Amino acid sequence: MHFLLDPLTYPFMIRGLVAAMLVGVVCSLVGSYMVLRGMAFLGDALSHAILPGVAAGYLVNGGAGGALFWWALAAAVLTALGIGAVSRGGQVREDTAIGIVFAGMFALGIALISTMRSYTVDLVHFLFGNVLGVTNTDLALTAGWGLVVVLVIVAFYKEFLVISFDSVLAETLRLPGTLLRYLLLVLIAVAIVVSLQTVGIALMLAMLVTPPATASLLTRRLPSMMALAAAIGALSGVLGLYLSYYVSIASGPAIVLVCTGFFLLAFLFAPQRGWLWQRHAHRASQNSD
Amino acid sequence: MRILFSLIILVSLLLASCSAGTTAPAPANDGKLRVVATTTLVGDVVKQVGGDAIDLTVLLPVGADPHSFDPSPQDVVTISKADVIFINGAGLEEFMTKLMENANSQAPVIEVSHDIELISHEAHGDEHADEAEAHAEDEEGHDHAGADPHTWTDPNNVMIWVQAIAAELSALRPAQADEFAANAAQYTEQLQTLDTWITEQVALIPAANRNIVTDHPAFGYFAQRYGFVQVGAVIPSFSTMAEPSAQDIAALEDTIRALGVKAVFVGHTVSPDLAKRITDDTGTQLVRIYTGSLGAADSDAATYLDFTRANVNAFVQALRP
Repeated sequence: MHFLLDPLTYPFMIRGLVAAMLVGVVCSLVGSYMVLRGMAFLGDALSHAILPGVAAGYLVNGGAGGALFWWALAAAVLTALGIGAVSRGGQVREDTAIGIVFAGMFALGIALISTMRSYTVDLVHFLFGNVLGVTNTDLALTAGWGLVVVLVIVAFYKEFLVISFDSVLAETLRLPGTLLRYLLLVLIAVAIVVSLQTVGIALMLAMLVTPPATASLLTRRLPSMMALAAAIGALSGVLGLYLSYYVSIASGPAIVLVCTGFFLLAFLFAPQRGWLWQRHAHRASQNSD
Repeated sequence: MRILFSLIILVSLLLASCSAGTTAPAPANDGKLRVVATTTLVGDVVKQVGGDAIDLTVLLPVGADPHSFDPSPQDVVTISKADVIFINGAGLEEFMTKLMENANSQAPVIEVSHDIELISHEAHGDEHADEAEAHAEDEEGHDHAGADPHTWTDPNNVMIWVQAIAAELSALRPAQADEFAANAAQYTEQLQTLDTWITEQVALIPAANRNIVTDHPAFGYFAQRYGFVQVGAVIPSFSTMAEPSAQDIAALEDTIRALGVKAVFVGHTVSPDLAKRITDDTGTQLVRIYTGSLGAADSDAATYLDFTRANVNAFVQALRP
């Protein structure tokens, strides 16, 4: 019991645990759509594409931290809409559009930064939050935006599913497909920017992809996959922070490694889709021949 | 990811400075010795000794963290034209080896901290300084594994810098040796006055309060000379580039509470975010100081003497009863 409670005597541990769980849940939820749609790359792309926003924010506001968040968010939403616009109509595939818009935005950011040498250290600091350095304001921001993301997903989860997999059905149902696609992209952008600032890029990327990927090995139904992914994300956050406390390794990597551990377990031992099961099934079919 | 990021930002800076390099030809220097110093601190001391007789370029901009500095092509050009290069040494300038290779420079590189007896991290009983071990590979001939490179926090060490600088400049320009010796003697006197002043100032701090916590352990030589103990650091490594674990932060907060530490001192070149959480949680004060770089020309730390006075004033104000 002491083992579990001792770390909680430190306020930074409580804030870190709450932050890791919030980010775990929100990222896993939006990440489930990304993994299913084959856009895992979008997280990486968006986190780089906010650079011009942050750089422009620096040039305009001179580094006031609060304002930078909005600049970053604006850049991410613009990037998401840009990806949506380029891939609309199917002339350019979505993953290609991600690559094009991300490269352009990132280059723009670098071009802006190259005009102001002394700020680069601060910019890099801004882009890499630390789960141990979370403020109560960060938590409120993450919780508030997280709630918005979760509510929108709860309201539209079926519609998002249909536009993702069955465009014919979407047409038949007369769903506003374009609008929904843009909405999903904006949701992903919001989740990414909020998480990036709270816990840093490496942790955010891992939470976006690994828990949904793990859950997809264990279940095929979207609602249960999302619930399972959120649970794995939150649990990884908690276990990772305890690991960082007791084994003394940096917290971000600790959480990511726990996520990866869960994925490996599922990859090897998942019923039906796991490596062991597949091998067994293969043998069984050979024996019956 | 972070490395990739830094790399790309670096490349952009390289491109930016390339174009700057072609448009701004080096000014004629009337046959003066072309001297390069790495950090702003080394640069200021070199300037005090060399005076107007040298053409001095300082590589790091004011406010840059020497642990994470990335040189630009402009810096390669500067190095390749230098007659002599003064560096802090003791493993501080991790970027120097590559820079010298790129510049294909034959100029002598003088470690001003060479003759100083370095504090090793074993002597600290600090078990987290793996980062410092990486410094060892960058050096030729010296093994600085785990050594504390922040020698300038004790003015007596800077007196050793002054000797090394004066000796090298005199060897390169024997005709001006008298001038360098006079400058060195005058500046050494100022450093001695500074040393006396610090001793008087820290006497205002009772022994029980002489425990300092900083962003990274950068005040080992200061602590050794003036009777302080570095009881902890937000980043428990001689380099600012490491990342602490939850255990490190918890241990630091325990230390702060157990010893009744009154303040956490954070350098202007690093982000104060993590330290701010710690001071909020422990009800202590966060005080900004100067660590690896001088302040801007209009700040209270534009020279080494002012830099040290500003830090000592910050210590005294925060720690005296």
